[in-house]
Amino acid sequence: MYQFDYQAPDSLEAALAALRENDEAKIVAGGMTLLPTMKLRLARPEALIDINRIGSLAGVTEKNRAIVIGAMTRHADVAASKLVRDRIPGLADLAETIGDPQVRNRGTIGGSVANNDPAADYPAGLVGLGATVVTDRREIAADDFFTDMFETALEADEIITAVHFPIPKRAAYMKFPNPASRYAIVGVMVAETHDGIRVAVTGAAPCVFRVTAMEDALKKDFTPDAIAPIAVDGAEFNEDIHASAEYRAHLVNVMARRAVAAVG
Amino acid sequence: MKVSFSVNGAELSGDVEPRTLLVDFLRNDLGLTGTHVGCDTSQCGACVVHLDGRSIKSCTLLAVQAEGMQVTTIEGLADGDALHPMQAAFREEHGLQCGFCTPGMIMSAIDLLQNNAAPTEKEIRDWLEGNLCRCTGYQNIVKSIQTNAKSQ
Amino acid sequence: MDIQGEYHIAASPTEVWQRLIDPDVLSACIPGCESMTRASEDAYDCAVMAKYGPVKAKFKTTLTLSNINAPVSYTLSGRGQGGAAGFGEGVADVMLEETSDGTALRYTARFNAGGRIAQVGSRLIVATTRKFADKFFAAFSSGFDVAADDATA
Repeated sequence: MYQFDYQAPDSLEAALAALRENDEAKIVAGGMTLLPTMKLRLARPEALIDINRIGSLAGVTEKNRAIVIGAMTRHADVAASKLVRDRIPGLADLAETIGDPQVRNRGTIGGSVANNDPAADYPAGLVGLGATVVTDRREIAADDFFTDMFETALEADEIITAVHFPIPKRAAYMKFPNPASRYAIVGVMVAETHDGIRVAVTGAAPCVFRVTAMEDALKKDFTPDAIAPIAVDGAEFNEDIHASAEYRAHLVNVMARRAVAAVG
Repeated sequence: MKVSFSVNGAELSGDVEPRTLLVDFLRNDLGLTGTHVGCDTSQCGACVVHLDGRSIKSCTLLAVQAEGMQVTTIEGLADGDALHPMQAAFREEHGLQCGFCTPGMIMSAIDLLQNNAAPTEKEIRDWLEGNLCRCTGYQNIVKSIQTNAKSQ
Repeated sequence: MDIQGEYHIAASPTEVWQRLIDPDVLSACIPGCESMTRASEDAYDCAVMAKYGPVKAKFKTTLTLSNINAPVSYTLSGRGQGGAAGFGEGVADVMLEETSDGTALRYTARFNAGGRIAQVGSRLIVATTRKFADKFFAAFSSGFDVAADDATA
């Protein structure tokens, strides 16, 4: 790793001030992507601002028929949260499938969301459940937040503080994991929210997306069979040694049907 | 920069560069070489230690991030000559071959039983997702953890 | 895993070709290109700042023009060394064809990586290559509007 300055402020204000001071500074949350990247010398921030000491950013609460998860809440804590398990079991299931136990013990929802890796699980969770990303200065609907591969609506000096998940009527997440990394080759969140049905896909394309044709079909008939004939266009899908674009396109339908079946 | 935290119950402080990884600090500065570096890319789990009681990969944590926290390594488990029950179970069930992955396996397994005192075989195998055994000796590793769980 | 694209440019193949082999045009179109110097007849040394998600690193890259068949086709390749992290190599075969209202530019691009970059990044290579190629050829094609504007100004 290259040399860098390090500070671990204990308040959001101090973290924001430090971030404004240096254009080449980077926030580190769980560090599960940033630190390996820095070890490979593929990133060399001048300074790391560690927000692990800001206690107010972690924790799960219920507010106005929504589950509010602090940005620094670890994946393991989301998976183990009785509140999440009770109100949105599909979200607890999703958190439990991320990486391995040690990654889940460090990695955070805010870090995952800000990174917007095309194969991360949370983007499908947020878009599928119609969540809202809360930052130090505003609220951003998940539909508007994830803009492109590794790109989000966040400003350079903006910090995510929490994610609001409206409690859905029912929801389930199904994923076909890479057997080594557990990243989603394809992951699908299907939810019946109070504002309608949502189907969100991660892993398949450069960025999370919704399948409106499936949403419309499920509105009329909420069964796996109703979406069986709906194919997605895989022309611009991701490809690697594990799965071709065509295979990923096929998996979207399979995982969506499994999610619908799991929602029941 | 200055850091102070507890390692295996002993309070200590030192001067480290921010870029020093926890695993390097443990091995090079403290001589605690029981924590291994396998892949160095947070995949293999040879470097698993406990941070405030939870298993983490010490190759993907900066030493300065442990400030004020409690670190437990494989060296901190035994009580004098008496092995920790998980270590004893690994010896009993032959849960190691070359031994390289063993410290990480044991630290990870102890965290599993903290969360789930009576795991099924599938739950054990799922939990060991982040620990690779290059000898592929998983069968007896799983057996060791089952033996320890049953004796608790 | 080849990536293909096509752009229509309102200029003759000869005009397009002149810009395809112009190092100033190339360096302006390569995303993140910070400098470019001629190393030999058909090769250039470039410094490219790659910025994708958590990655932000400068690569020394050698850009080579080969298989030159003016003004119809050539191969543009760039090989970058990332030190201990490994290497990356991108290749694009470019073809020009005259159409009724200008030129059709078609390309086929692929990217290979080795070392740790490949170990940790193989799942991202196709999407990243597509993005890179799109940016390059979109910048190249839109350059003609600017050039045309400049000419009329």
